[in-house]
Amino acid sequence: MIALDDVSKCYPNGAYALRDLDLRIETGEFAFLVGSSGAGKSTLIRLLVRDELPTTGRVRVDGADVAKLKGSAVSKLRQRVGVVFQDFKLLPQRTVAENVEFALLVTGHTGRKEAEAAEHALSLVGLAHRRHHFPRELSGGEQQRTAIARALVSHPRLVIADEPTGNLDPVTSWEIIKLLVRVNELGTTLVIATHNADIVNALRRRVIHLDHGRIVRDEREGQYAA
Amino acid sequence: MRRLAFVVAAAWQGFWRNPAMSVASTLTVALMLVLATFFAITNRGLQQAVALLEQKVELVLYLEDSARPTEILALKSRIEADPAVQSVAFISKEQAIERLRQATERSRDLALGELDNNPLPASLEVKLARAQEAGRLASTLRREEGLGVVSEIVDNPAVVDNLLTITRVLSIGGIAVLVMMLLVTLFVIVNTIRIAVTARRDEIEIMRLVGASDRLIRWPFILEGMLVGAFGAVLALTAIGAGAPAVADALTQFAGIVPLDFSPVFLAQLGGAVFGFALLVGAAGAGWSVRAHLTA
Repeated sequence: MIALDDVSKCYPNGAYALRDLDLRIETGEFAFLVGSSGAGKSTLIRLLVRDELPTTGRVRVDGADVAKLKGSAVSKLRQRVGVVFQDFKLLPQRTVAENVEFALLVTGHTGRKEAEAAEHALSLVGLAHRRHHFPRELSGGEQQRTAIARALVSHPRLVIADEPTGNLDPVTSWEIIKLLVRVNELGTTLVIATHNADIVNALRRRVIHLDHGRIVRDEREGQYAA
Repeated sequence: MRRLAFVVAAAWQGFWRNPAMSVASTLTVALMLVLATFFAITNRGLQQAVALLEQKVELVLYLEDSARPTEILALKSRIEADPAVQSVAFISKEQAIERLRQATERSRDLALGELDNNPLPASLEVKLARAQEAGRLASTLRREEGLGVVSEIVDNPAVVDNLLTITRVLSIGGIAVLVMMLLVTLFVIVNTIRIAVTARRDEIEIMRLVGASDRLIRWPFILEGMLVGAFGAVLALTAIGAGAPAVADALTQFAGIVPLDFSPVFLAQLGGAVFGFALLVGAAGAGWSVRAHLTA
């Protein structure tokens, strides 16, 4: 699903965010990305959704070399990858339902079937009753659940979550993680970048530890700290 | 089709769900359009005044008392054949003295009634279609002097030259000011829309990350820009329509000799131009502003 070959990312100021990364994440896997702030987790995620391009090396996502994608192919890649962010990134002027439907609309499909899909995704995250509310009227957890519904609605084969619990209290964090675990159990590849040691230690899934842009640890059933 | 519906709905929602920004942009657009329209109308008045001044340029050919009507008529049609000439009027000796009588009626100290015979000559008054050609025409006609029909030709080359200089300066100056005003309007409107778009750059980023194509992101903003332009134009035209009669009255009193023409045709053209300008600038401004965030 994800294949990085000798990938480095160097910013114009000469600082390396990622250095000589080799990484494989297979279809259906569940992997945590851990490491201190500035270790390169967010840069790695930006490379996976082609928000940025690698300086050297090759990044392949779902079979596509992201650097070779142009124009609408970039949009197509992003439509296949569901992304969940720490700050939710919901469209503030759109209702919960509209935010979720937007992810389908960009694929060019809108209709009764899609509205039903949005409805289904919202009930999956337990937010069907909030469908006509605006993001500002929701709690942090509800906003994140909306974002997850949006990430799931187009049935992506890969979901990437960047600090999905960073802005949430412990109880809400667990709700969100349980939701993501269910998503993975349904067959979707899941990559979660997180600082939340409790969650990583409790789930005992694959842990990829980044430090100063390099992978320093990659364990099948890892802990947050070595 | 559904995407079109989405784009239209998104533009409409974008406008109404950001009320503060939309109202601020619309008012700015309206104010700038009122200002630009005011300059456009003023410039039109100016150009009409200039045309009126240039119409005042005329040549007078004084005729010999002995000239025969056939000779006068032949000369008249020769002059009328010149493309620079708008019209030629024959003023007989009687008409000339009558004009003088009327002109002196208010000053009783001039006692025209005591004249035994009419000392004034008949004349041809030549009105020009193109004031710039007064000099050429005068020198051509001067060849007629002393041939038994024309006794004297009166033109005022110095006055005509001065007048033409003044009208040229006014005409070009008016257009220059109008062009500058349009540029200022363009600049302010585009910048206002740019601020409104920049305030929503997060929205653009989110759309990109969810996989929206550039086109799908850009068009709602472009339509929204046109909506701002359209509302601004309607507001501006309403304000102008409400204020125009009062301003026109004041202008007519101030410059009574200038026949300001506010014909329905002119008003329709002006309204159309303001509306079209606002739509175009709104769309282009928004498209350009979004582009900056798409390539970033």
